[in-house]
Amino acid sequence: MGTEGTTARPRPLQSLLPYAYLLPALVVFAVFIFSPLVKSVILSVQGTDILGNPTGFVGFVNYTKLVTDSDFLKVLGVTAAFTVLTVVPSIVIGLALALLLQTRIRLVRFFRTGFALPFAFSVATASVVFQVLYNPASGVLNGILSLVGTGKVDWLTNPDLALWSVSAATVWMQLGYNLLVLSAGLGALPEEVIEAARLDGASGFRLQRSIVLPLLTPQLFFLVVTGTIHSLQSFGQIKILTVGGPENRTTTLVYSIYEQAFANNNSNYGYASAQAMVLLLIVLIVTALQFGVLERRVFYR
Amino acid sequence: MCAAVVAISLGACSGGSSTSGSSAQGAPAADALSKAKGVTTVSFWHAMNGKNATVLTGLVDAFNKAHTGKIVVKATYAGTYDDAITKYKAAIKSKSTPDVIQIYDIGTRFMIDAKQTVPMQEFIDRDKTDVTDLQPNIAGYYSVDNKLYSMPFNTSMPVLYYNKTLFTKAGLDPTKPPATLEEVRTDAEKLAKVNGGPAAYGFGAAIYGWLLEQFIASAGDDYCDSDNGRKGTATKVEFDQPDAVAVVAWWQKMVKDKLAANTGRDTAAAQTAFKSQQVAMLLESTGQVGGFTQAATDGKFELGVANYPKLKASDSGPIIGGASLWIDGAGHADASKEAAWEFVKYLSEPATQATWHTGTGYFPISKAALQQPADVAWRQQYPQFDVAVQQLQNTPLTTHTQGCLMGVMPQARKASEDGIEAALNGTDAQQAMTKAASGLSSLISTYNASAK
Repeated sequence: MGTEGTTARPRPLQSLLPYAYLLPALVVFAVFIFSPLVKSVILSVQGTDILGNPTGFVGFVNYTKLVTDSDFLKVLGVTAAFTVLTVVPSIVIGLALALLLQTRIRLVRFFRTGFALPFAFSVATASVVFQVLYNPASGVLNGILSLVGTGKVDWLTNPDLALWSVSAATVWMQLGYNLLVLSAGLGALPEEVIEAARLDGASGFRLQRSIVLPLLTPQLFFLVVTGTIHSLQSFGQIKILTVGGPENRTTTLVYSIYEQAFANNNSNYGYASAQAMVLLLIVLIVTALQFGVLERRVFYR
Repeated sequence: MCAAVVAISLGACSGGSSTSGSSAQGAPAADALSKAKGVTTVSFWHAMNGKNATVLTGLVDAFNKAHTGKIVVKATYAGTYDDAITKYKAAIKSKSTPDVIQIYDIGTRFMIDAKQTVPMQEFIDRDKTDVTDLQPNIAGYYSVDNKLYSMPFNTSMPVLYYNKTLFTKAGLDPTKPPATLEEVRTDAEKLAKVNGGPAAYGFGAAIYGWLLEQFIASAGDDYCDSDNGRKGTATKVEFDQPDAVAVVAWWQKMVKDKLAANTGRDTAAAQTAFKSQQVAMLLESTGQVGGFTQAATDGKFELGVANYPKLKASDSGPIIGGASLWIDGAGHADASKEAAWEFVKYLSEPATQATWHTGTGYFPISKAALQQPADVAWRQQYPQFDVAVQQLQNTPLTTHTQGCLMGVMPQARKASEDGIEAALNGTDAQQAMTKAASGLSSLISTYNASAK
């Protein structure tokens, strides 16, 4: 330690080098993340004229409007429901499929590729496919149901069902990615631990539950965190499948921001920015909670 | 085209008004273009896609060919009407508006309030252009205080499409389509499967606010106050008035009794239901006549087109909707404005409108277009389209049929859809429409305060 001052003094250029490497990423972040963020904060305390130009400081008018707007409370409810309905099934089903694909059955590669394929679809493409499936007049799903003899289901026009239908589409889109991550996790499990458990007599469900699952918690935790953020930011499927309807029952926070800022000749950037701040806050709180509560139960080897 | 050129040179001879040339909202001097050196480019944003875009591109190409070396129009697709107006707002901020933009009818008040464009009337007055050829009902929508702000371009009306084959199967007379909502219901009762009829549903319509606007207009009511915003600034919407609620309640009962299909807001879904013969009657725009004729041929059924049904037999007719062309003034050179005016005039000529009409099904804004040989021949081939011609001619021009002029009209349309949707899903019709209408009040007052 005593020699540090004399021999290992870094030259100025050398100490700047790491920052130079970071620079491209920082520039992208500054331009596309930080500056819009700062702009949103500023806009959220401004009024907006009919062209979308800020009209000056209005204090917390946009925020008090949020609190008093009953529709906005509904939006938060829809957002929470949508997040739960997409994150939980996409992880549970993804895990089930990943475990099934561990077994040595024929054509396992084919199935793995097949199940992972949704990952390669863009949200827009997948949504259009689901639009064809759900179509109230010529939908494939209703076509199949009519063969069975049951009545038609209003997948997207029934207010009680629409959110479930959009969530199901989202789960399908998310499933491929989750399956890939979990399969990779399963593939990397230490053979000796599994073998030791087998020698101790653990097998079947017991082995999965007590040995495999705890070893897989890092991947599961990762998927819960990224899946939640992803769900909170979902937009394409709602825009394409339901445009937030029926009766605003699929209007999530992100969709509401879009409606206020860009749809139907709206340009209420002030109010939309205030909603965006709420979204930011929710993402921060949820992620912090997940790290605070869930991560304690994650088993890192 | 010759007449237009003559009119411009005449305007130049009489001196024009050179002082107003440099102002953002006045017409430039009539010789602005002839003085300009080289080729003047006109950027043109439109919201036409598919077949309509192909026909429009053909028209633009023809114009460019006729003005080689002088004017070149560059047409760009700006997305749907909603997208186009959103992009236009962004363009105002970045001072990059196009020379000509196509904006939907309900964006009219906003375009006036945005104060970016040169009203058509400025050009018309300067050149003493003869505009008697414009269909008065169509020009009426875009006229405020007797001043034509934008040039109507593509216009359509709602009509009732019906499946004659299914009518015959249900024991109805296919030459006697229903004229009122009550008759629509009577016929739907015979057509629908629920009563053993040949179609899954008798009637269908997308949850599209435009359709409700038509019922209100033809019933002789205003959609918003201040005489539909024509005598002053509108301060509230009135789609919760008795006639409107009666229409929504009728619709609600049709759905509840399984006589009508609720296919949601997606107009394409409602169209599919009609094309695949699941619904026997459909409310849609005249713009669908081509597509439905094709579907009828493919699906082996006979297509009928009838007047838009009325709430009461004595009602008049619907509003003429669609989109119009606006010439941007603020930040644009005089030569560009003048070239834009040339282009807009060309698009409103009888021959152009006849090509547009026969190519797309949009109603011609020019009376003379209907006399063009190509147009006459086309209507002989598709007699369905004469229904729209007669419907238009039988509709008197009043503030009711002029339609509501209001800055937040796009938001109002969406709100009315929220109301209809809630009603169709079981909420009391009056309650649903009142809630939707009152929800707009703060939006309207914010807009009006900001637009001053």
